[in-house]
Parts: sequence; structure tokens; C-alpha cells
Amino acid sequence: MSEEFPRLGRHRARQTSPPDVGYNCIAWSAGDTTRWWQPGLYWPVKTSRDDWSVRALEQAFRALGYEECRDESPEEGYEKVALCGFGFYYTHAARQLPNGRWTSKLGKAEDIEHESPDDVAGGLYGEVVQFMRRRIAEIR
Amino acid sequence: MSTMMEPALQERFEQLKNQWKVQSKYLSNTAQMAMLWSYQQIIGMGAPVLPLILAELLHETDHWFWALEAIAGENPVPAEAAGDVAASADAWLEWGRSKGLLRDNV
Repeated sequence: MSEEFPRLGRHRARQTSPPDVGYNCIAWSAGDTTRWWQPGLYWPVKTSRDDWSVRALEQAFRALGYEECRDESPEEGYEKVALCGFGFYYTHAARQLPNGRWTSKLGKAEDIEHESPDDVAGGLYGEVVQFMRRRIAEIR
Repeated sequence: MSTMMEPALQERFEQLKNQWKVQSKYLSNTAQMAMLWSYQQIIGMGAPVLPLILAELLHETDHWFWALEAIAGENPVPAEAAGDVAASADAWLEWGRSKGLLRDNV
């Protein structure tokens, strides 16, 4: 995994689920383990099946009540997600846990808990390009 | 256009499939998976590869739906099952059986 995730070894990370081809990181960040979220398949806003951009990903999370925020630091009363992009594509979304750490579903493979969104960047997923937050009260 | 004989087709598919499985393991964007050279090569093999993809889908669920739709020119997955990987696989396998492209004892 070091080639795909060259920064993952810097901090402690642990596997939290077995591999599962049935859902991806976008679904996982949105709290859904029953579907693979993808424009043209399942997406929370109407979009072209050919839109694979970070903007499409941002619009999906806006539809779920998220707004742009400055950084990954925990904020009382908010849940955060980090969006990654590589070139033309959105590549990944990670979700902040109540303990301030982050959770990522790695493609068709396992979920992991890690220290920072940047831990999964720098390789296959490109870089973290945006942070978003929503009030926890809005989802309870 | 040359015609690939079945054993050669199967061997080529196995090579490309194995390559794609490794390359796509950690990808979450289906478009990225589908744009990988190995997957594009499989799509380029055309209709003769459909039985091999369906047999593979029966053996192990994975994101073959893009290739199947691109080659077959149709999509049997009902709208309500979109994004449901297991239901999508079932719909394609049923489609394969109805077209005589899938033998369950493979």
C-alpha cells in the first residue's frame, strides 16, 4: 500500500472493516453502506453520469447539508468531510469521527481509521482539495 | 479486424482482469476504474468477451457493469437498484442467462 498511500505510514492507522465491493468512500462518508455512490448510478443531486469532477463531489455533500470550511480541525457541534482530487477526477472522501480522527473506505477494499485526511493523500488519491462541515444536529 | 480464438481470448481476458483488479482495488470513482488501460482493453474485445465477464461476475462481484453496458449497449439494472452492487450483479447475470451467454456451471 505504500505506493498508493505514501503518507499513511506516518501516523497510526488501523483497519476497521473487511473489504467490501458494495460501497465506496463517498457512500461511507455519507453514512451509507448499502450502495456505491457514483454520478449516473446513485448520487444525491441530479448530475451528468460523465461528471467525475471534484465539483460534482462538492455538490453531493452540499445536498447532504455540508458547507465549505477552512480546515480539518475538530469543531464542536460539527461533522466534517475532506474531499480529495487528482487531475480531472474526484478521488476520495474521508469523514471525521467524533474523537477527531478520520475514517476512510479505501475503494473496494477496507475501511480504516487514521489521524488526518492527508494520511491517504499524496499518491493514488492526489491531494485533499476541500474541507466541508455540517451541524451534527442536522443529521440526528 | 482479426478474430481472436476462444483460448486466446480467455487468456487475454485473464491477464487484463488480473491487472485491472490490482490497479482498481483502492479506487472509489468508477470512471477512474473504467479508464484504466486494462479495462479499456477488455471493452475493446467486444461482444465475444461478454460470456467471460459474466462468468467472472458470477465468480466474484466487482464493477463490471460499465464494461457490460458499453459492450452490450443496454442496461438491465432497474432504476431503483442503481448503486446497489449485488442487485446490479444479479440483474446482469439474469440478462446473461436470458441471452444464453452465461452457464451457471462454469
